[in-house]
Amino acid sequence: MNQNPDLLTLRSVSKSYGTVAVLHDIDLSIRDGEFLTVLGPSGSGKTTVLRLIGGLEPLTTGDIRLDGQDISRMPINKRPFNTVFQDYALFPHMTVSGNVGYGLSVRHVQRKEIARRVAEALELVQLGRFADRFPAQLSGGQRQRVALARALICRPRLILLDEPLAALDLELRRQMQEFLKSIQREIKTTFLFVTHDQEEAIGMADRICVMQAGHIRQLGTPHELYYKPNCEFVARFFGENNLVAGKLGPVQGEQRPIETALGRLICSITDQPHLKAAPEGASAFAAFRPEALHLADATDGDNRFSGIIADLAFAGSSTVATIKAGADNAAQRLRLRTPSRIGGSALRSGETVALSFAPHEGHLVLA
Amino acid sequence: MSAVVTTQLAERRSSLLVTVLAFAAPVIFVLVPLAIFLVYSFFSVDQGTIVYAPTLGNYVRFFTDPIFLPVFWNTIVLCVSVAVICILLAYPAAYFLTTLRGRWRYALLMLLLVPLLMSYVIKIYAIRSILGLNGFLNKALVAIGILQQPSTLFVFNMNAILLTLSLLLIPFAILPIFLSLERIPQTLLRASDDLGASGLQTFLRITLPLSLPGVASAASFVFVLAIGDFLTPQMVGGTSGFTFGRILYSQFGTAYNWPFGAALSVALAIVVICAILIGERFGRSRGTSV
Ligand SMILES: Nc1ncnc2c1ncn2[C@@H]1O[C@H](COP(=O)(O)OP(=O)(O)O)[C@@H](O)[C@H]1O
Ligand SMILES: [Mg+2]
Repeated sequence: MNQNPDLLTLRSVSKSYGTVAVLHDIDLSIRDGEFLTVLGPSGSGKTTVLRLIGGLEPLTTGDIRLDGQDISRMPINKRPFNTVFQDYALFPHMTVSGNVGYGLSVRHVQRKEIARRVAEALELVQLGRFADRFPAQLSGGQRQRVALARALICRPRLILLDEPLAALDLELRRQMQEFLKSIQREIKTTFLFVTHDQEEAIGMADRICVMQAGHIRQLGTPHELYYKPNCEFVARFFGENNLVAGKLGPVQGEQRPIETALGRLICSITDQPHLKAAPEGASAFAAFRPEALHLADATDGDNRFSGIIADLAFAGSSTVATIKAGADNAAQRLRLRTPSRIGGSALRSGETVALSFAPHEGHLVLA
Repeated sequence: MSAVVTTQLAERRSSLLVTVLAFAAPVIFVLVPLAIFLVYSFFSVDQGTIVYAPTLGNYVRFFTDPIFLPVFWNTIVLCVSVAVICILLAYPAAYFLTTLRGRWRYALLMLLLVPLLMSYVIKIYAIRSILGLNGFLNKALVAIGILQQPSTLFVFNMNAILLTLSLLLIPFAILPIFLSLERIPQTLLRASDDLGASGLQTFLRITLPLSLPGVASAASFVFVLAIGDFLTPQMVGGTSGFTFGRILYSQFGTAYNWPFGAALSVALAIVVICAILIGERFGRSRGTSV
C-alpha cells in the first residue's frame, strides 16, 4: 500500500538504565510521510523509543539510521526532528509567537522570515489571534496547538509526539485527533505518535507498532492488527477478542483446524506462513471477534458449538452477550456482539443456544 | 437557640482576636518603632537633652551639610556593588548546585549555608585576618607573583568593607538563586535543545530569564542587609571606610543626638523600602505555569 522509502531505521536497538533493560533489540523502520503510532500499555517503553530517536537519551546498543546514515551519536540539537512534549513544555516567559519562532531564531533566521513563518504556522494551527498571549493565558487545547506549531515550523523530517492528547478531555481529544491527522496530511511530514489508547491508534495511524515490556510485538496497518494479530498479547490488547486455547491440526490449504474445548474449530491462515509452518499439535488459540460470533442456523456446518447466555448488556448501537461454553457450559467465556434492535434482543439470558462463526473470520495465534 | 448564638458570637470574637493579634504583632514590633523614629526625627537636642518641639532642622542639616549626602550616596553605591559582586559569585555556584544529582545537591547547599550559623563577629575577625597586611590574601598574591610586596589596597578602607560584606552576604544570594533555578522544569531545557538551541543559547534564552526573579530577590536581600550593617564597616573600614551606617550609629552613641540619628534612619528606611519594592517588582515571575 505504502511504497515510500524508509526515512528512519532502528536496528537492534536496546536501552538499559543501569542493569535494568528497558528496550530489547528493537527493529523498526519508519516510512517517509507516514503516520506511525507506537501503541502499548504504560511502562512498555514507548517514551524511551521516542527519547532515543529524539536524542534525549543515548542508546545502549544498536544504531539509528536516517536516510541510511548512522545518527546514533548526533547531538539532540542537530537532529532534524522535533518533539511535541506530553506536558507541552512551552516557554512561560515567551509569547505564543516567541515560542513558535524559537526554533528559527536560534538558527539565526532573519527576523522578517521568522515573522512570516510564525504567522504561517499559527494560521495552520488556527491560533493567529493568539500570537501575543503568554502560554499561561491559553487553554489546554490551545497550548497543545502552540506546541505543535513550534515543532513543525522548523520543517523537521520527523515529528515526535508523546501522548500529546492524554491531558485533554474526551471531546477536545476527538477534535485534536482529527486536527492532527489533517495537519499531517497537509504538511506531509512523518509523524511518530505515542499513545496507550488503542482507539486513538486505530483512528489515526497508517501503521501501528504494538509494544509490550520493551519488545515490539507487531507492526502493521490497523486492519492487519485487528484481523491478523500475530501473538496472544496483540490479540488480547487490540480490541475485544474471543480466544480459545487448543492444539493445531493438519494444514488444509488456506485453513487449519484446532482442537479445543469447543470441539474442532476451523480457522483461516491466509498470508500467515508461520501458521502454515507450525508443527501439528502445537499450542495455539483460535481467535474470533465478538461481532463474528452469531447464533447458528441450519446452514452453519463448521465451528458449531453450544453455550449458555450468562449475561446481556445493552451498549447503544450494539448488544453484547456474555456466553459460557465448553464442558458443562462453564469452561470458556465468550462474547457475542449483535446490532441492537428496537424491539429488544432476540437473545434471552439463561437460554442455551447454538453458536457459530465462519472459518474465514476465525484466526490462529500461536501460544 | 440563644446558646447557639452566644457560641457563634464567642467563635467570631475569638477569630477576631486571632486576626487582631496577627496584625498587631507586626504593628507593635515594626511599625510603632518606625513611627517613633519618625516622630523623634522632628525633635532636636540642646546641651544633651532632647527638645520636644517640632522642627525640620535635622532634615535641613542632612541635605545641606556637605558630609552627609556624599556619604549617603557612596554607601548606596557600595551596597549596590556588594549586591552585584554577590550575584556574580553566587550565580555560578547556585547553577553548579543545580547540575548535581540528588543527595549531593542538598549536602553541598547546606555546606555553603553553614557560615550563616556562625557568629557574625567571628566571621568578620576571620575575614579581617585574611585581608590584613600579613593576611592570607596578600601572602597568596605575593606568592603567585601578582604583587611584589604586600599591598594596603584592601586593608582598613572601603575596599575592605566591600570584600568583607560580599563574603559575608554571599549565602543570602545563593539561596534565592538556587531556588529559582531549581524550579525551572527540565523539560523546558530539553525542549530548547530539541528545537536546535546550543547549550549557551538554552542558558541565555531559557535558564537565565527564568531565574531572574531569584536574582532580583537575592540582590534586594543583599543590598538591604549590607546597607543596614554598621558593625562590618566599623571593624574593617578603618578611618577611610566611612559609611552611612557608622554615622548613624555614632549619632546614637558618641554624638548622642537621637533626633538627628532618627532623621538619618528615616532616610535609610526610605532607601531600604525602595530596594524591597524594586526587588519585589522584578522578583515576581511573569507567566509561571507551563
Ligand atoms: N530514567 C529512567 N531510569 C530508570 N528507568 C526508567 C527511566 N525511564 C524509564 N524507565 C523505565 O523504563 C520503562 C519504560 O518506560 P517508558 O518508556 O517511559 O514507558 P511508556 O512510555 O511506554 O509508559 C519503565 O519500566 C520505566 O520505569
Ligand atoms: Mg510514556
